[in-house]
Amino acid sequence: MLFNSVPYLIFFPVVVALYFAITRSWRWLLLLAASYFFYMCWKAEYVLLIMATTLVVYFTAIMMGRQPDRKARKKYLILSLFINLGILALFKYLNFFDSSINMVLGGLHIPEKIPELKLLLPVGISFYTFQALGYSIDVYRGTAAPEKHLGRFALFVSFFPQLLMGPIERSRNMLPQYRDPRDFSPQRLVSGARLMAWGFFKKLVIADRLGIYVSSVYDNPSHPSGLPVILATVFFAFQLYCDFSAYTDIARGSARILGYDLMINFNRPFIARSVSDFWRRWHISLTTWFRDYLFFSLSAKHKNRIVDRKIYLNLMITFLLIGLWHGAHWTFLFFGFLQGLYLIAEGLTGKTRERISRFLKLDRLPWLVHPGSILLTFFLICFSIVFFRAGSMADGFALLGNAVHLSGITIAIKDILANNEVTFAILQIVLLLVVEQIHDKRNLVEWLSRRPVFVRWPAYIGFICYVLVFGIMTTKEFLYFQF
Amino acid sequence: MSRKFAIRLFLFAASLLVVNFILDQTYRHLAFFNILNNSVDKQFLEYEDTLKYLVMGNSHDCIDTRILEHSFNYGSPSENYAQTYYKLRRVMQTTHKIPENLILFIDMSCFGKKISNRFDYSSYWVKYVDYGELARIKHDNNLLVNWFGGRFCSYAGNYKEIQLTLLYLIKIGHMELYRGYHPHRDFRNFALNEDKTKEARRKAELYFSKDDYFDPDMVLYFERLLQLCLDNHIRVILVRIPVTKEFWDEALKIVPADTIYQRVDSIIRRYPNVTRVLDYHDLYFGHPDYFFDPDHLNPKGSDSITTVLKRDLNTPMFHGPELY
Repeated sequence: MLFNSVPYLIFFPVVVALYFAITRSWRWLLLLAASYFFYMCWKAEYVLLIMATTLVVYFTAIMMGRQPDRKARKKYLILSLFINLGILALFKYLNFFDSSINMVLGGLHIPEKIPELKLLLPVGISFYTFQALGYSIDVYRGTAAPEKHLGRFALFVSFFPQLLMGPIERSRNMLPQYRDPRDFSPQRLVSGARLMAWGFFKKLVIADRLGIYVSSVYDNPSHPSGLPVILATVFFAFQLYCDFSAYTDIARGSARILGYDLMINFNRPFIARSVSDFWRRWHISLTTWFRDYLFFSLSAKHKNRIVDRKIYLNLMITFLLIGLWHGAHWTFLFFGFLQGLYLIAEGLTGKTRERISRFLKLDRLPWLVHPGSILLTFFLICFSIVFFRAGSMADGFALLGNAVHLSGITIAIKDILANNEVTFAILQIVLLLVVEQIHDKRNLVEWLSRRPVFVRWPAYIGFICYVLVFGIMTTKEFLYFQF
Repeated sequence: MSRKFAIRLFLFAASLLVVNFILDQTYRHLAFFNILNNSVDKQFLEYEDTLKYLVMGNSHDCIDTRILEHSFNYGSPSENYAQTYYKLRRVMQTTHKIPENLILFIDMSCFGKKISNRFDYSSYWVKYVDYGELARIKHDNNLLVNWFGGRFCSYAGNYKEIQLTLLYLIKIGHMELYRGYHPHRDFRNFALNEDKTKEARRKAELYFSKDDYFDPDMVLYFERLLQLCLDNHIRVILVRIPVTKEFWDEALKIVPADTIYQRVDSIIRRYPNVTRVLDYHDLYFGHPDYFFDPDHLNPKGSDSITTVLKRDLNTPMFHGPELY
């Protein structure tokens, strides 16, 4: 079931009404049933995978809780990792490895091929698997106590607002909330609905509109002119942001109405002044997951030496895996590689850049340096994002080749200006950036909440109508569903 | 929940519904395509002449009823065979007007996935299409959203039409309609287009997709349409509409015309009421001035093709076997 679909607009209010109508002690059961139903609307039998993950992680965590030390807990952690990553590998990565091996065999002129299993990728598998594994590692490390209540733990793995596309939550944030559910609150209903409306705006008005132009260019990688490629890449950056952050907003809004607080997943990533800053603002739940459970684990032995060649190696490993987390494809791996490369370059050149900055007295020119840093970061992200969107490595390089091919630029500019959809999409991006900027300086929601009803209601109704009129109403999946 | 909050929530929801109702009704009555399609419906109801030819299809349907006597042009923009089937079935049930011949357009794009999945102007089509059945056949519950939108929230997602309506109200103001024929095409001349190939490629990519040029659902509805005509003793005349050379060449880069028409032939052979396929696709290859874009005839081209069609329909050769 998609958030941007009529079934969800019926399903959600029904769940909310039932949820607050029953006694607190049974609410977990209703939410669990609703979550499984929500998932089964996509493909019923794949709910068994969620149940399998839940049971494996639950029982291994219980066993870990009974062990006196880390060493004794380790075997249960390994078991949990093995089974869950095994399921993930089977459904998500097996075809990738098969086709890669077949490609190598083909290159070596070996006629034998490994048969490819065409398994349908279960939506949200990367999200709920990583969330469950995070809990396993927390229990192993002793930073979280094993949850005894199987139902509440199952809800932690499958809570429907964040089941398909995150945020990848932590047990220490969610389990206490499931143990002690909140009562209905009008304030939470209003603020949750506002957040959902903002999410719908980003998804329907911006992301899906940008997607039309992006697809028209990226689905024809031999596009002759460079400007459409550049524009489509910039659009794709905003499409991805609006699409994914919209999902997060709707998820957080839905959860908030039900009385649960989910973590923030995006913090205005396109004002980042460096790639490391970008990754502190983009898909925060995933980045912090890899930081806490992988990067720190890899770097633990080197914590006494901050600058260490191995730190950079670990950084690269982490980002290669982040790339691979997105999908079983060389393009995602290369995307991760580029991010790793940027961060290593950033780390290695930090002192030199500081010296140059001091020498040129750039610290006195923040009005020049800050926008310059933002633009440079955005350029680097856009460069890497070409591979994120391209169908293959060859397509990615073809598109990059075309991007610098600027002959016929006047015709391209004329075409773009004549395209009402493009102009409108640009206006919506500007609107988004302006609203986010104002909101950052002065909390718009707070400001609006203090206005009288005759201002507030027309503003809300006007906004809803704006989304309805200008939104793309053909139901389109969220981009991160594929991950 | 406090009583005060419940009242406020109710009032807010009621206000939203009222605003939605006003916007819905405004759009329903003022949107250009609704005005056009509803006017055609009204003219069909008022049509009292012999209905020798009923013409149906999408924007490629360009038959000028002022030239072809005893005809009514019931085509509408973006119409596909599913919609044509439901519309014909419904109008025959409600008006009891049964045409002698149905002129149906059979472009290469008619069976493609892109056309098959296109269900625009829901606020007009809700009165004809059985969206429940359609959703079942196409295994696509999102079509129920089209029904919901068309029934209760017609303006949603239609800002382009609102823009078009405003332009129409400001610039044109009145609508010419002759027995369903609306000389709606603007008078642009494709011959003057600076980059014909590029425009042709854009349009071809809009209609065609490489692997999905023969959608089984569209075939099903095409056959249902032919069967409906057979059951009602209506002869079917299939027409391949003229397109520009540039468009044809670009289309062939995406889809195989021969394969498509071989499959169409194998279908129509099963229906004895399909009397003929009139192939005009290359008739105006040397006449870009007859088009306003790569695949739409302008009024000059429309008049020309209607004259040709009228001539062909009246040749003795045309009269096929007596069916009934």
